[in-house]
Amino acid sequence: MDLLNNLLLGLSVAVSLQNLLYALVGCMVGTLIGVLPGIGPVATIAMLLPITFHLPPTASLIMLAGIYYGAAYGGSTTSILVNLPGEASSVVTCLDGYQMARRGRAGAALSISAVGSFFAGTVGTIIIVVFAEPLTRMAQKFGPADYCSLMALGLVAAVVLASGSVMKAIAMVFLGLLFGLVGTDVNTGAQRFTFDIPELSDGIDFAPIAMGLFGIAEIVVNLERHLERSGGVIKVGSLWPTREELRRAIPAAIRGTALGSLLGVLPGGGPTLGAFSSYTLEKKISKNPGQFGKGAVEGVAAPESANNAAAQTSFIPMLTLGIPSNAVMALMVGAMIIQGIQPGPEVMTKKPDLFWGMIVSMWIGNAMLVIINLPMIGMWVKLLTVPYRFLAPAILLFCCIGAYSLQNSTFHVMQVAIFGVLGYVFVRLGCEGAPFLLGLVLGPQMEEYFRRAMLLSRGDPMVFVERPISLGLLIATAILLVLMALPSIKKAREEAFQEEG
Amino acid sequence: MTRFLSKDFLSGLMFIAFGLAALYFGQKLAVGTPVRMGPGYVPRMLSFILLGLGGLICVVALYAGGEIVERPKWKPITMVTLGIVLFALLFERAGLLPALVVLVLIASLGGEEFKLTEVIGNMIVLAILCTIVFKIGLGMNISIIQGVW
Repeated sequence: MDLLNNLLLGLSVAVSLQNLLYALVGCMVGTLIGVLPGIGPVATIAMLLPITFHLPPTASLIMLAGIYYGAAYGGSTTSILVNLPGEASSVVTCLDGYQMARRGRAGAALSISAVGSFFAGTVGTIIIVVFAEPLTRMAQKFGPADYCSLMALGLVAAVVLASGSVMKAIAMVFLGLLFGLVGTDVNTGAQRFTFDIPELSDGIDFAPIAMGLFGIAEIVVNLERHLERSGGVIKVGSLWPTREELRRAIPAAIRGTALGSLLGVLPGGGPTLGAFSSYTLEKKISKNPGQFGKGAVEGVAAPESANNAAAQTSFIPMLTLGIPSNAVMALMVGAMIIQGIQPGPEVMTKKPDLFWGMIVSMWIGNAMLVIINLPMIGMWVKLLTVPYRFLAPAILLFCCIGAYSLQNSTFHVMQVAIFGVLGYVFVRLGCEGAPFLLGLVLGPQMEEYFRRAMLLSRGDPMVFVERPISLGLLIATAILLVLMALPSIKKAREEAFQEEG
Repeated sequence: MTRFLSKDFLSGLMFIAFGLAALYFGQKLAVGTPVRMGPGYVPRMLSFILLGLGGLICVVALYAGGEIVERPKWKPITMVTLGIVLFALLFERAGLLPALVVLVLIASLGGEEFKLTEVIGNMIVLAILCTIVFKIGLGMNISIIQGVW
C-alpha cells in the first residue's frame, strides 16, 4: 500500500495550482522548442536554469521535466507536417510520417503519434514508480568505492551508447572531469585553476558552459549552414485514423513503448536511441518491410512511442542513483544542486513530496501535451514560418540574459562566449559535448568519493576490486569497453551511427 | 600532410594541449599521498590520462587516417562571439536596451541575409519581450537604460 500512499502524496503535490501551472509552462516551452529546429532541450534548459532560482524546487523541476518531454512531443509535429525534425529524437518520424502526410493522412499520423506518446508516457511513469523504490534501497547500501565505480560505469556506458568515436568521447569525459575540478578544493581549501578570478572559486557554473557548448555552438553551425525552411505546409485533415491504421499502429506502439522504456534506463540512452532502435525493429519484423519509408503507420507509431517512453524512464538513474544518463539529465542534476538538493538515493526518503510530486506531474504533463498538441496544431505550424535569422539573435539574447542572472555578473556572460568558441572547436573536430557535460557534472562528486574510498582503505586501491558491488560494476565497465573493441560489434555500431547521421 | 589535418589527429592534439595546460597551471598544487590526497592528486591524474589518451588518438589517426577537418567559416563564429562579449561589456554600464541592440545587430550581421528593417523590427519585439519577462515579470534587478530606468 506504500506505493498507493506515495502516489497520493505525489498527486496532492502535483495538482496544486502552482505546480500545474509550471507543468503547463514547461510543456508549452518544450513543444515550442520541439517545433523550432535549431534549438534543442539542452540549450533551452541551460538557458532557463537561472530562472529556476526564483522558483521553489518542486516547481522548477516539474517545469524543466516538462520541457524535456514536451520537446520529444513537439518534434514529431514538424517531422510529419514539413519533413523537418525539430529534435534529433524525431528524425526517424520524418521517414514515414511525412509520407503519410503527403497521402493526406497527416491528421491520422499526428493523432497516432500523440496518443502513442501519451500511452508510452503513462507506461514510462508506471515503470518509474515501480522501480524507483527497490533501486533506491539498493543504492543506500553503496559505499564510496561502489559509488565511484558506479559513476565510472555510467560514464563509460553513456559514451559507448551515445557517440561516434569511443576514444574521443572518453577523452571528452576526462576533460569534463578536469573542468569540474576548477574552484576551491573542498578538503583543503586550496584554489585550483582559478587564476585568481574570484568568480571561479566556487567552481565553474555549468549553466554558461552548457549554453556555450550546446546553444551558441549550435547557432554558429546553423548560421554557417544557412538553415532555411522550405516546402509548403501540408493540410492536417481528419485527425481520426482508420480501423486498418489503428490495427497496425497499436501493436507497434506497444513494442515501441517496451523498447523505449528499456533503452531509456541505460546510461547514454534516451529518446533518440529509443526512436532509432524501435524503427529498425519494426522494419525487421514487418511482413512487408518495403512499405517503410512510403508511409507505414508502424513507422510513426513505434518511434514516437519509444522516444516518449525513453524520455520518461531516463529519469530513473538520475532520481534514484544521482547518475545522469544524458546531457539533459546532467542539467537536471545541476538544477537540483542549485536548489540545494544533492541528487541520489536520499532524495526519495528526505524529499518524498518533491520526488513523487515530480513523477505524478510527468503523467499529468503528458496528458496536457495531447491537449496542447492536437487542437492547437495550427498555431504550432504557424511558428515554423518564423525564419531562423529572427530566432538566432533571440536565442543568443536569452542565453546572455540567463547567464547574467545566475549571479548578476557579466563574468558569466563572458564564460558563455568562451565556451561558445570551445563548443565550436569541438563541433569542428567531431568531439561530442554530451560526454564532456556528464564528466563536468560528475567530476566533483567522483573526486570526493574517490578520495574518501582511498582514505578508508588507507591508500590501497584494491578497495575498488575487493568490495563485491564495486567489483561487479567495474567488471561490467570493462566488458563494455572490451565489447566495443571487438571488430564485429565495432562495425555494427558504426553502421548504426551512420543511419542516425 | 592531409593526415595531420584529420579531425581525429587535431582533437588528439587538443586533448594533449589541455593535459599540458592542466599540468602547468596545477604544478603548485600539492599532490599528497594516496591516503591523504592533496588538492593536486586528482588533477594530476586526469592530466596524465588526457595526455595518454590524446597521444593514443593522434597515433591511431596517423595510422588510420580519417575525415579531414572542414574549413571553418569565420564570419558566424566571430560575429556571435563578438556580440556576446560586447553584450557583457555594455549590459551593466549602459543597460539592457543598448546591449540588446548591439547584440542583435552584430548577430544578424553574422547570418547570410541581412535586412535592416527586419533587424530593427526584431530588436523592438525582443526589447519589449525582455522588459516584460525579466524586468517586470521576474523582477530582476537590471536596468533597461542605465540611469534612466
